[in-house]
Amino acid sequence: MDSLKNTLLAILCTACGLVPCAAQASSYVDVLDMPAKPTALATRSPLLGVTRAGERMVAVGQRGHILYSDDAGKHWVQAQVPVSSDLNAVDFPTPQQGWAVGNDGVVLHSSDAGATWSKQLDGRQIGDLVVKYYSALAQAQPDNESWPGFVSEGERLVEEGADKPFLDVWFADDKLGYAVGVFNLILRTEDGGQNWTPFQDRTDNPQGFHLNAIASTGDALYIAGEQGLLLKWDAALQRFNALQTPYQGSFFGVIGKPGDVMAFGLRGNVVRSTDGGQQWRDVPSNTQVSITAAVINAQGQYEFFSQAGDALIDQAGAANLQPLAQQPLSPVAGAAIAPDGSLVVVGNRGAQTLPAQ
Amino acid sequence: MGNIKQDLMPVIRDLSDFDQHSGNRLERWVFNYRPLFMLLMTLVTLVLGYMAVTRLEIRPSFEKMIPQSQPYIQNFLNNRQSLRGLGNSVRVVVENTQGDIFDPEYLEVLKQVNDQLFLTDGVDRAWMKSLWSPGVRWTEVTEEGFQGGPVMPDTYKGTPEDLEQLRRNISRAGIVGSLVASDFKSSMLIVPLLDKASATGQAIDYQQFSRMLEEQLRKKIEFAGDSTAHQSGAEGNGPYKIRVIGFAKLMADLIDGLVQVMMFFGLAVFTSLLIIYLYTRCWRSTFLVVGCSLIAVIWQLGIVAWLGYAIDPYSVLVPFLIFAIGVSHSAQKMNGIMQDIARGTHKWIAARYTFRRLFIAGVTALLADAVGFAVLMLIDIPVIQDLAITASIGVAVLIFTSLLLMPVALSYVGVGSKAAERALKIDRQSAGDHGFGRLWSLLDRFTTRKWATGAVLVATLLGAGGYVISLQLQIGDLDSGAPELRADSRYNRDNAYITSHYALSSDLFAVMVKTPPEGCLNYQTLVLADRLAWELQQYPGVQATSSLVNAVRQITAGTYEGNPKLNSIQRNQNVLNYAAQQASVNSPELFNTDCSLMPVIAYLKDHKAETLDAVVAIASKFAQENSTEDRQFLLAAGSAGIEAATNIVVREANRSMLLYVYAAVTIFCLITFRSWRATVVALLPLVLTSILCEALMVGMGIGVKVATLPVIALGVGIGVDYALYLLSVQLSFQRQGLSLADAYRKAVSFTGRVVGLVGITLAAGVVCWAWSPIKFQADMGILLTFMFLWNMLGALILIPALSHFLLRETGSVSCRDSEEAKETQKPGKECGGFNKKQLPQAM
Repeated sequence: MDSLKNTLLAILCTACGLVPCAAQASSYVDVLDMPAKPTALATRSPLLGVTRAGERMVAVGQRGHILYSDDAGKHWVQAQVPVSSDLNAVDFPTPQQGWAVGNDGVVLHSSDAGATWSKQLDGRQIGDLVVKYYSALAQAQPDNESWPGFVSEGERLVEEGADKPFLDVWFADDKLGYAVGVFNLILRTEDGGQNWTPFQDRTDNPQGFHLNAIASTGDALYIAGEQGLLLKWDAALQRFNALQTPYQGSFFGVIGKPGDVMAFGLRGNVVRSTDGGQQWRDVPSNTQVSITAAVINAQGQYEFFSQAGDALIDQAGAANLQPLAQQPLSPVAGAAIAPDGSLVVVGNRGAQTLPAQ
Repeated sequence: MGNIKQDLMPVIRDLSDFDQHSGNRLERWVFNYRPLFMLLMTLVTLVLGYMAVTRLEIRPSFEKMIPQSQPYIQNFLNNRQSLRGLGNSVRVVVENTQGDIFDPEYLEVLKQVNDQLFLTDGVDRAWMKSLWSPGVRWTEVTEEGFQGGPVMPDTYKGTPEDLEQLRRNISRAGIVGSLVASDFKSSMLIVPLLDKASATGQAIDYQQFSRMLEEQLRKKIEFAGDSTAHQSGAEGNGPYKIRVIGFAKLMADLIDGLVQVMMFFGLAVFTSLLIIYLYTRCWRSTFLVVGCSLIAVIWQLGIVAWLGYAIDPYSVLVPFLIFAIGVSHSAQKMNGIMQDIARGTHKWIAARYTFRRLFIAGVTALLADAVGFAVLMLIDIPVIQDLAITASIGVAVLIFTSLLLMPVALSYVGVGSKAAERALKIDRQSAGDHGFGRLWSLLDRFTTRKWATGAVLVATLLGAGGYVISLQLQIGDLDSGAPELRADSRYNRDNAYITSHYALSSDLFAVMVKTPPEGCLNYQTLVLADRLAWELQQYPGVQATSSLVNAVRQITAGTYEGNPKLNSIQRNQNVLNYAAQQASVNSPELFNTDCSLMPVIAYLKDHKAETLDAVVAIASKFAQENSTEDRQFLLAAGSAGIEAATNIVVREANRSMLLYVYAAVTIFCLITFRSWRATVVALLPLVLTSILCEALMVGMGIGVKVATLPVIALGVGIGVDYALYLLSVQLSFQRQGLSLADAYRKAVSFTGRVVGLVGITLAAGVVCWAWSPIKFQADMGILLTFMFLWNMLGALILIPALSHFLLRETGSVSCRDSEEAKETQKPGKECGGFNKKQLPQAM
């Protein structure tokens, strides 16, 4: 009798050992492995970036939320997203092909105008990628003293895991694009995100400042960063060169059109250059609050948005930025112009549409 | 009429003809040593009266209102030391009616309020928050990094620059909606209270605290010292208003309401005097009845005070009930004695006869009442248990006062001769078909097929309809604000003001996340806490959530120069450590000292049962799916958490209590009647009343809560008395061979008037609560009045009707022992267990 009991016990124990009986339900699922949850709150929850994809607006935000709207932001639909990381930025070089980046080093791709997304890269792979890339270079060019530094940088990334956020993404077309992030994190792809190449060695950023934003003015590509860092793509040298700016605080973004570029950032600072970044001058904004987003409206005027919900416009002939008639009133993290000319701003209270000025 | 007892208890005019050694031992002790007995009673009354006057306290306590052993409450009590922000706190709002808060005079007033509260004993000073608290700080990101300081400038002098600085600091600190009203016309002081005052180690006296608020703050500031205006209850029309909400203030307001309710006791006494006088037309006996019942109340209060219990808003109903039950029992005694005296029996002997006849019946009825109270012991909420104990004490006291003291006292004073004759006359009338008797004889018809069918049909319809309505019965509080008080009370007006001018509701539901020390900073823990908050936010009843995660996200963004894209939970432990360290400076209530416990708080739009149930369901599902040994998600703290736990207990208790009270009453009836059919007849009217009472609660928008829980138990426990009186007499006549109609007619003429009297005196005792300033007492008053009256009607109408169907044959099932029983006179051997000698002659 006893022996039978023991046998049974033994069988049970083995079964439990093979299939973890208890605690299965409570195993932790990482945000990178947990699909974003569909929720009615998504439109009212923090959104951090918005862009236009053809006739459609696409916005990204916390907890893996991606929303799209076909009526200039009046109604939003939540997309299918395989991660629930906080997403920081989105870019659609074509109406169909788009990329979104965010925390945990995640890069997502959509080829159906933002309705469904797949993961191309996450922070768990970036360290290996960097180590492999620079180790190969170090092996190929043993004389170059800089490679071992990048290798050990990569090793640190491996060690720290997926903890490096991407802050912005920009694609020239459906093949070439960049993702930038904290501590000089920058990757480049030439095949629509199939393969990513570390690009840290091609930035003029010896102190490893955060790269907050990347944007094209049509004639040039700029990266805005921490502590006055402003980089410009030099096609000849195939690297981002530092520009001299009058402001030593951080820039949160850069925007412009051919022959005219403006960078904006901490504590209401806005600077402008009309000579491709050689000379910069202050544009007084009359605000002490950080400027976190900007758009060029249908009339070609610059509009700036602050963390206090101010909206300011750069009007021809005025030395200062002027407040817009319609104010978002809540902190703005991103803004874009919809096909009908109206303005879609996103921030910690979700998305809102303001009529064309 | 009355022929049963005549042979056993002959009319004896002269004391010398009476055998002093007749009667049982108790009777002989009490009546043969009358002076000693009266002396003893007087002494006990004096001692207990002294106890009541000197020791009785009015003291509601937070702890006693919550179900102590409910798992959520256990979690809360085990961790309450670590939950700084969620304890018992009071919010004081100082409103500037003629400007905004950026006014040096306003800020001076606010400072006075702040200082007064800070110096009040019992206030947990370290965690008090107001614009004047140095711990209320702002932070800002600059090119150089973080900057911060107290919201009230260190160098504040009241200059316009200072005010501008303050305005900027308030905006930077993000306290609009929490400490500052969204319209900037008022600001708040959050005043956490200690359980025990630091100086004395005594529990906080809410009344004293409230008096301080009223006298030192509201009267001085809102009413500029004008007591009359202050006491009128209207809001002041000066430049400043003081608005106070919080458990302590609520309790104190309830105590004030209690004092008013106690005035109703006088009204109840007066009503009883009137009813008894109308019944007897004899002042002597009327005062005796009411006097004995008052003595019962004095004893009850004295014993309760002696045992260290205090009067709280719930147990205040006990004296009312004890008084009412006492009056109805004393009235029966008096009635019996009166009739014997009228027949010519000496008053001392008449008292002894009545004692013989009614003592066992009285004890039986009181035991039935006690069952109703005792069942409340099963509810795991100390205030209800206290109510059960104090009421049981009261019922026990009634055995001495109404059953012993009353007849003995009557044996001294006797009754007025006119009243005695009148009693006999009415008694004869009711036997015939004249006057009063006509009303009662109407009831006989319910024993006939036609009327019985009609009555049962109507009752079934009422029951079915009532049941359908009662399905909508809600658990918990149904209104916003404090449902204990009326909607237009000052407290609820203040509450409405604060809810509409400040962002976060006062209904907090908190889940405690428990980890080993330092565990609350763990990345996974924070992510899970964030997910829990997010799950909770999905429910529309949740306005907002807050936890350490919010602070960590914000501070992390801060370390990245306020970049909104870094408003995130970073995996880097250094980042998290730094964020938590910053958080501990600004909002230390977010986690405990060794970082092993952090609450995830949901601010709810209201505390309706539906909202609480939904939140509990979400939180407990999450807890089940995500708790591990090292990371437990524990429900629940916060006012709404405690209320949710209370609701769970109340729902459970409501079901089990009904079950128990009916089980107890069933057993009781089975023992008394020795017949399951009679038990069914006795119980069905009570079931109908219980159902209709629930329907009435739905109709009146009253939910089942701690306050209404006792009502049904009391209604059933006391309501069964009627059936005991009526049915036992009827059965005993039936068993003597009378037909159902005759037996019922006799039973009604025997006891019908008493059933009526009992119903009316009980109802009179509680009906005046309907005017109580305390909402739930008004509700209880209405519900109890309804139950007492409806049970009476149910007994008088449904007992004959149901008897027609169930008990028609009882007479023919004759009792073999009946002859023998008559001879031996031993209780218990009698047919049906009801001793004919104890039959109320004309109760």
